[in-house]
Amino acid sequence: MATRSQKAAVLLAGALTLAACGSGGTSSQAPADGGGAGGGKTLVIDTSFDLKTADPGRTYEPTGLIVGKAVYETLLTFDGADVTKPVPALAESYELSEDGKTLTLKLKQGSTFADGSPITADDVVFSLTRVRDMKGTPSFLLDGVEVAKTDDTTVTLTSKTANPALPYILPNPALGILNSKLAKEHGATADAQDKAEQWLNSSSAGSGPYTIESFNVSSQVTLKANPKYYGTKPAYDKVVLRNVEAATQKLNVQRGDSQIALNLSGDQVTGMPATLQVKKTASANVIFLLANQDSSISKTTPNAKFVEAVRKGVDYAGLLELAGEGATQAPGVIPSQILGALPPEQAAKRDVEGAKAALAASGLSNPTVKLEYPSELTVNGLSFQPLAERIQANLKEVGITVDLQPAPVTTALDNYRNGKEEMGLWYWGPDYPDPSDYLAFLPGKTVGLRAGWKEGAAKEIEAAGVKAAEAIGDDARKSAYAEVQNQLNAAGPFVPLIQPGQNIVSAASVTGIEYHPVWTVDVADLGAK
Amino acid sequence: MKPDAPRERTGRRVPPLARFLVRRVLLAVLMAWGITLVTFVLTNLVPGDPVAANLGQRALGDPAIVAQWRAEHGLDKPLWQQYLLHLQGLLHGDFGTSQQSHRPVADDLAEFVPATLELAGAAILVSLVLGVAFGVIAALRRDRLADHTLRVVSLIGISVPTFWLALMAFYVFFYRLQITPGSGRVDVALGSAPPVTGLQTVDALLAGRWDIFASAAGHLVTPALVLALYTIGLLTRFTRSAVLEVLGQDYVRAARAKGLPGRVILFRYVLRSALVPVITVAGLAFGSLLSGTVLVEAIFAWPGIGQYAYKSATTLDLPAVMGVGLVVGVVYLAINLVVDVLYGVIDPRVRLQ
Repeated sequence: MATRSQKAAVLLAGALTLAACGSGGTSSQAPADGGGAGGGKTLVIDTSFDLKTADPGRTYEPTGLIVGKAVYETLLTFDGADVTKPVPALAESYELSEDGKTLTLKLKQGSTFADGSPITADDVVFSLTRVRDMKGTPSFLLDGVEVAKTDDTTVTLTSKTANPALPYILPNPALGILNSKLAKEHGATADAQDKAEQWLNSSSAGSGPYTIESFNVSSQVTLKANPKYYGTKPAYDKVVLRNVEAATQKLNVQRGDSQIALNLSGDQVTGMPATLQVKKTASANVIFLLANQDSSISKTTPNAKFVEAVRKGVDYAGLLELAGEGATQAPGVIPSQILGALPPEQAAKRDVEGAKAALAASGLSNPTVKLEYPSELTVNGLSFQPLAERIQANLKEVGITVDLQPAPVTTALDNYRNGKEEMGLWYWGPDYPDPSDYLAFLPGKTVGLRAGWKEGAAKEIEAAGVKAAEAIGDDARKSAYAEVQNQLNAAGPFVPLIQPGQNIVSAASVTGIEYHPVWTVDVADLGAK
Repeated sequence: MKPDAPRERTGRRVPPLARFLVRRVLLAVLMAWGITLVTFVLTNLVPGDPVAANLGQRALGDPAIVAQWRAEHGLDKPLWQQYLLHLQGLLHGDFGTSQQSHRPVADDLAEFVPATLELAGAAILVSLVLGVAFGVIAALRRDRLADHTLRVVSLIGISVPTFWLALMAFYVFFYRLQITPGSGRVDVALGSAPPVTGLQTVDALLAGRWDIFASAAGHLVTPALVLALYTIGLLTRFTRSAVLEVLGQDYVRAARAKGLPGRVILFRYVLRSALVPVITVAGLAFGSLLSGTVLVEAIFAWPGIGQYAYKSATTLDLPAVMGVGLVVGVVYLAINLVVDVLYGVIDPRVRLQ
């Protein structure tokens, strides 16, 4: 009797193993070089999803921008990874008026949407007005910008004040041009009543190289090549974006189950086999410390000498070691990719004696400060916890006691946003690759207020900010933004730390990978060997 | 006096089993309401502002956008009104709109729940078969090598953390040995079968797509086994002790003395009596399987409710969190109901309690 049951159990276990082997075999028939069963080429990209929508006008998240870039075209774009110079896309040329208030765009002729209908100036006006007026997350991109059609091939964007950033804003996939007739049939309006999002999440109304085949915010997005695309045909017929944890991403790409892994940390890409390509670059995210300037929040941090002690006390090289490959030190709040970034040799260096002297000059003896940060947040695979601990150890040598106050990101955000943190450890990613996005760090602006830095608190920097905002022409802007950052570094409440590394791992068969600070990768640019 | 009252007193008596069933179902409905209240209160007690979690840094700087977002999601109303609206919506099958996917939560759940049920269902099936078989073997081979081996295995199954096991299984079988397929429910190159039940394997069979079925079944094996290991361990131990207890009973000894074949004794006497505790454990285990899927789904990139729940919780997507809470709660209730009813069927004494 016993042997019988035993036999049964063994048989069953055997059957299960066979089933496992059998179907494993079936799936490994899918060639690892990216070729799919359907005959065409399939590209599988693994990434940790940060995705809410496929409606370009509401897109703000990294994964959404990858999708938006593939499905919709914008008036201007960037060539490869170079974000310092906007180039034509749907517009064949653009011209900014001398006062910086009017941007005139000439539309390319003969471009069509995925359904074959031509792209008109009316589509452009509708799409941009919709983004601005339906008050979605990216609507601030066009705050105060009037969009008008001059004739069938010309569109003008008019701002109340000089807006030299506009050509750098237009490539944002959120400003992708919709087939307005199709979108209106499915509820699109240029105001807050817009109802097109759900439809846009399953269909696409764009002119990009890809269209949406299926879309799921928490698991998978499938794109297929747009047969009517009038530009260069993309190399892959199908692109699948899958939501995969970083640890699993690594195994998948090594085994050939996916061709690209986007979210591996510096640690995870060391020792990758030679068959894989690893593209290591600094990401455009800048991690920084803030010291609150509001004396009702802290008696310690508004002291300028205290901030100087922190700036000189942090061991930047040690932080870079933690961040791993690809990371760089941030000399100012503007990241290295963007026009106006400070040169690396201007980055702060550790000076323990100088820090001690500054602390002595501050009149504070053995100060204790609370450092708040999001405990479970990772930026480019780098967690804030070890960074905070390292900073705590660095500042202890200087004579500053740091009391670590980790909190879940949603809770920590509350205090940060309301300017309640004595010290904070956060990061800023560019909304668009233009230095004007970093004016948010000035007194009275978004990030400035979070550091308790009210309007009028530092008139000289504010004046430098106004000057930078109005500067026209690359050279003038470069020096104006460098000036703003130098002043911020000398007397501001922020300590720029590092730009963590962005590591893109891909199969040897994939060509043309470039890290892009706005849309991470342009899937249509990828080729196959 | 109501006209039908005397008839009820003098007429047919409601059978005890039916009365038992009605009582249990009513209780379950009451509990379901309790779950809505608890999930709502707990969800709204969470510190942190859903607006901050959902809008970008720049949009947060614009009070008009923030106010509009709050109004759009009903967050500007007092809490009790929000609850009543929530309850009213639930009665109409409306779980609210997810703040992350901007779709009805009901649609999201309809998409993710089947994936999780397929995984948990496969796991419970495997654990029932293996757990009971192992338990019986261990009991019959008491204190011999097979018993000791199975006890060690079940101890490991119970003590090893599921996420670690999932990572190891993925690493060993997928990456090292290359015998199992990778992430997800089915090969991306194959696409998926037209959704009917939402269960990939069943849908593939319905569509007659053997290639998809094989791929889906293959993708199911490792995560289901990983998920099942804990339950297998639990069931092995419970079945073993239940069978041992029954084996010591007088009526089993009497049957054996009568010369009944061992097979008959095992299936007709021992297993039937040992079933009651096993059902209880299996029911409870199914509930814990559902919550265990969160980590397993994350590692195998299984597009189930676990990932959805995790993402909803971290983005403070309150309607989605409440929806998930309610569904999981109701599944627990349903399982308890089934377990109770099975008791009632197996053991008539239960109906009278």
